[in-house]
Amino acid sequence: MAGAESDLLQGTLDVLILKALALQELHGMGISRRIAQMTNAAFDVKAGSLFPALYRMEQAGWLTSRWGQAETNRRAKFYSLTKTGRKQLQSETKRWERISLAMAAALGTRQEAL
Amino acid sequence: MIAWLRALWNNFFRRRQLDDDLDEELTAYAELVSAEKVRSGMSPEEACRATRVEMGGGEQIRQSVRDISAGVSLDTLAHDIRYGVRTLRKNSGFSLIVIATLALGIGANTAMFSLLDQIVLHLLPVKQPERLVKVTIAGNNFGNTYGTDRVSWPMFEDLREGNKVFTDMFCRFPATVSVGYGDRAAQARAELVSGWYFPVLGVGAALGRTIAPDDDNVPDGHPVVVLSYGFWRNYFNADPTIVGRTILLNGHKMSIIGVAQAGFDGVELGDSAQLFVPIMMKTEMTPRSDGLKDRRRRLAWVAAYGRLKPSISAQQAQSSLQPLLHSILEMEIQQADFRQFSDEDRRQFLRNRIEVLSGSGSRLGNYMRRPLWILMALTGAVLLLACANLANLMLARATAREREIAVRLAIGAGRGRIIRQLMIETLLLSGAGAAVALVLGFLADRLLIRMYLPANEAAGFVVSPMPDWRVLAFALGMLLVTLLAFGLMPAVLGSRTEIAPSIQERSGTASAASVPLRRMFVVVQVALSLLLLVGAGLFVRTLRNLQSQGPGFPTDHLLEFTLDPSLNGYSNQQTESFYERLNVNLQAMPGVSAVGLSAMPRFKGVAWQNAIIGEKFSGELQQEQPVLTEVGPSYFTTLGIPILEGREFTDQDRGPQKYGVINQSFAKRYLPAGDPIGRRFGLVDDQDPAHQPDIEVVGVVSDTKYRDLRETPPPQAYFPYFQGASFCFMTVYLRTQGDPRLLESQVQERMRQFDPHVPILGLQSMDEQIGWSLRTERLIASLSAVFGGLALLLAVIGLYGVMAYTVTRRTREMGVRIAMGATRPKIIGMVMREASVMVLAGLLAGAVLALALANLIRNQLFGLNPHDPWTLLGASFSLAVAAGLAGFIPAVRASSVDPTKALRQE
Repeated sequence: MAGAESDLLQGTLDVLILKALALQELHGMGISRRIAQMTNAAFDVKAGSLFPALYRMEQAGWLTSRWGQAETNRRAKFYSLTKTGRKQLQSETKRWERISLAMAAALGTRQEAL
Repeated sequence: MIAWLRALWNNFFRRRQLDDDLDEELTAYAELVSAEKVRSGMSPEEACRATRVEMGGGEQIRQSVRDISAGVSLDTLAHDIRYGVRTLRKNSGFSLIVIATLALGIGANTAMFSLLDQIVLHLLPVKQPERLVKVTIAGNNFGNTYGTDRVSWPMFEDLREGNKVFTDMFCRFPATVSVGYGDRAAQARAELVSGWYFPVLGVGAALGRTIAPDDDNVPDGHPVVVLSYGFWRNYFNADPTIVGRTILLNGHKMSIIGVAQAGFDGVELGDSAQLFVPIMMKTEMTPRSDGLKDRRRRLAWVAAYGRLKPSISAQQAQSSLQPLLHSILEMEIQQADFRQFSDEDRRQFLRNRIEVLSGSGSRLGNYMRRPLWILMALTGAVLLLACANLANLMLARATAREREIAVRLAIGAGRGRIIRQLMIETLLLSGAGAAVALVLGFLADRLLIRMYLPANEAAGFVVSPMPDWRVLAFALGMLLVTLLAFGLMPAVLGSRTEIAPSIQERSGTASAASVPLRRMFVVVQVALSLLLLVGAGLFVRTLRNLQSQGPGFPTDHLLEFTLDPSLNGYSNQQTESFYERLNVNLQAMPGVSAVGLSAMPRFKGVAWQNAIIGEKFSGELQQEQPVLTEVGPSYFTTLGIPILEGREFTDQDRGPQKYGVINQSFAKRYLPAGDPIGRRFGLVDDQDPAHQPDIEVVGVVSDTKYRDLRETPPPQAYFPYFQGASFCFMTVYLRTQGDPRLLESQVQERMRQFDPHVPILGLQSMDEQIGWSLRTERLIASLSAVFGGLALLLAVIGLYGVMAYTVTRRTREMGVRIAMGATRPKIIGMVMREASVMVLAGLLAGAVLALALANLIRNQLFGLNPHDPWTLLGASFSLAVAAGLAGFIPAVRASSVDPTKALRQE
């Protein structure tokens, strides 16, 4: 629960949202909870970051949305990945793999030096 | 770009829906969160409060979503526009120069283009105008002709029956007729048309019906008339019951069968038809000439048109018609007309070619094509110049604003936002400039058309206040190019500004990156200015040459007017006696010293020409036939044409012996060797091949120009008017004692008393008439002079701007130089050297350009070479002097820098 939103880079949030939607369509809160679950609660995405990101990604053509029934029978907006979104997820995943390897290597070297 | 616009659109018009959607989504989110909290054990109130805290302000989320969903917020756009307007108003001098430059560049171009479009590129308002063609015969008709675009009536019929390329053909002949309706009388332009005229054109009737093929069967047998829409409105006050009424045309009763559709004024632009009459009524409409019933093949008078069959191109039609024409010519050459002609003449005749031209072409369009394209090219150069000037101004401004932009970048404005801001300012300026330009262009067109066409034609020539889509596309295209040229480049350069150095520098003017670019623009401006100035010089000197050379006789104190009593139904004898009495009457008028009558007016671009037979050249046809006219007694005295030998005509020269007065060129060409007085020549008459020389020369006069001021005086022969066989229109020349224009109203009054039924037309002084005949030259000369002057001004402003900026930027350097002992002349010389490099480069480029392009205007010049060195030198000199002044002021300022102050600035 202690995630710091300011640390959450925009690119990170985008890729997390894409990943959250990779298996199934979700509404806003569903996405937020799924991200928390995926990252072992390291990231808690608040509405103030989530919705602008969702709208921006929808505009970019990565997501589509439709109105549906949430679990409490409440009307809610559900988001799902588009084809472009799926491609974006793939390329982002590759990019993150490279970055995290690089980071791990870099941090590892520094630890040795310490 | 499109996505951005769509987002903007959505944001603006679907904002409500967007907000509602977002509200519902956020509410759903909040409810789901609190439901979750309740499930984990909170009380509903607690859960609600915790959710609110967690979510933060709803409005804040809404606003950030809105920003994103639009890509750009309308609020910031409005803010930028307000900011832009404020900045532009603060620099009102700069803004006005930019708007004026834009208005000049775009206005001149749209005005010239819409003139070109309406006169030269104009298509007739008929069905599929591009399929309508005019059929003419290039070559020598060996007979009489009403113009190079005319064919004889039998030729038209042969072409119409023999061709396989047209769905059908029609022909036309324009004539002036007198119209009588009730107690009113007027002259009107009538179009004599063959039966297929309206069907082939696809022009319908606004009222009643048009002339049909059945109205065109029997000569003299179809007394019907169709009115043009404009004539029906103006002359008959749009009377809806007009169909079936009878009017008198040349005294013949004609019944009105209809009114042609609105906007259709015949097929000759600038010579609009008011009435349409079946061509079978030729004898009634033109009582003095035939060509229809006598079926003369050597009189070319009808203009022939055809509508191409769908699959046939004009090129195919031309090649298909050539064998047909050849077979017709083979037949014609067997006829009696050709018995006397030489083999060479016959071969030449058989080489005549058919030509298929655009049916929308007009004499006005042909005549104006070259001048208008030249003016279009000049305005194009003005536009380029305006663009260079604007680019220079905007670069200067971007440089001046570097500090402001740096500050804005420093306090967090995005680069995109800065570029957008600059683009908005540019758009505002361009928009204002374009709006002014369109208004100016429209006014200029009206003015030019009024200046250019005779008043009655100008009235009928409607310039649409809305430029058509081509003009609009043209103006918009130019606007966009201009925008990209001068708007985006400074914007890109501007946003690249490094923040720190700009703010640090106290002077506020920083990087010198744009200086070479600005120098280049100055060079371009100087080059284009020189081009325009050379053009202006050539055209102005052409006009001056034409005016100073004159026609070969004194034109001041001459008044002229035209009249035609025969259109009022006066018989031949009545007309003859009318002119005789008129001659006596006007000679007695106070203020008039002499009266000269002439059948053919001077300087109207027309002439009566005929082949000559003489002692040495029986029936030999000359390509260039002499110019002829019939004149009254004391014609030469009145016009002041010197009589070199013999005498001029008197009242007594009425036959049976025919006399003639010739000019020097005629004598040299047709009666060489020996005194021409007393020798004889004759006119070739296609109806009388055995015609003998029967005209005795009684006088020789000096050469004068006849059709226009550009021609070299042609061979001319004059015959006594009262020895002629038929009398119709006449031009009267009065030599006045005082200013001829002061006599105009008295002449009007005297003529009204003389015969109130005969209207007099074109009352004006000879100088006015000559001025009118030079209107094309005057138009080009005055417009090119204006453009040249403006170009000079723009170039000087550009040079001054760059030099002033450079000097300001180098204030410290100047201070150091002066402190080190540089004298004032040395500093001035240094700055001037820099300016002269630019000016010289511009002059050189301009001179090369001018010499390369000058040949294109060779035909428009008179009395000077297109590479005239004095014009080029004069233009270069004036440009160099003006540029020198523009450079001198900053140079003096540089030299008067106070070194202590300049150095302390550091």
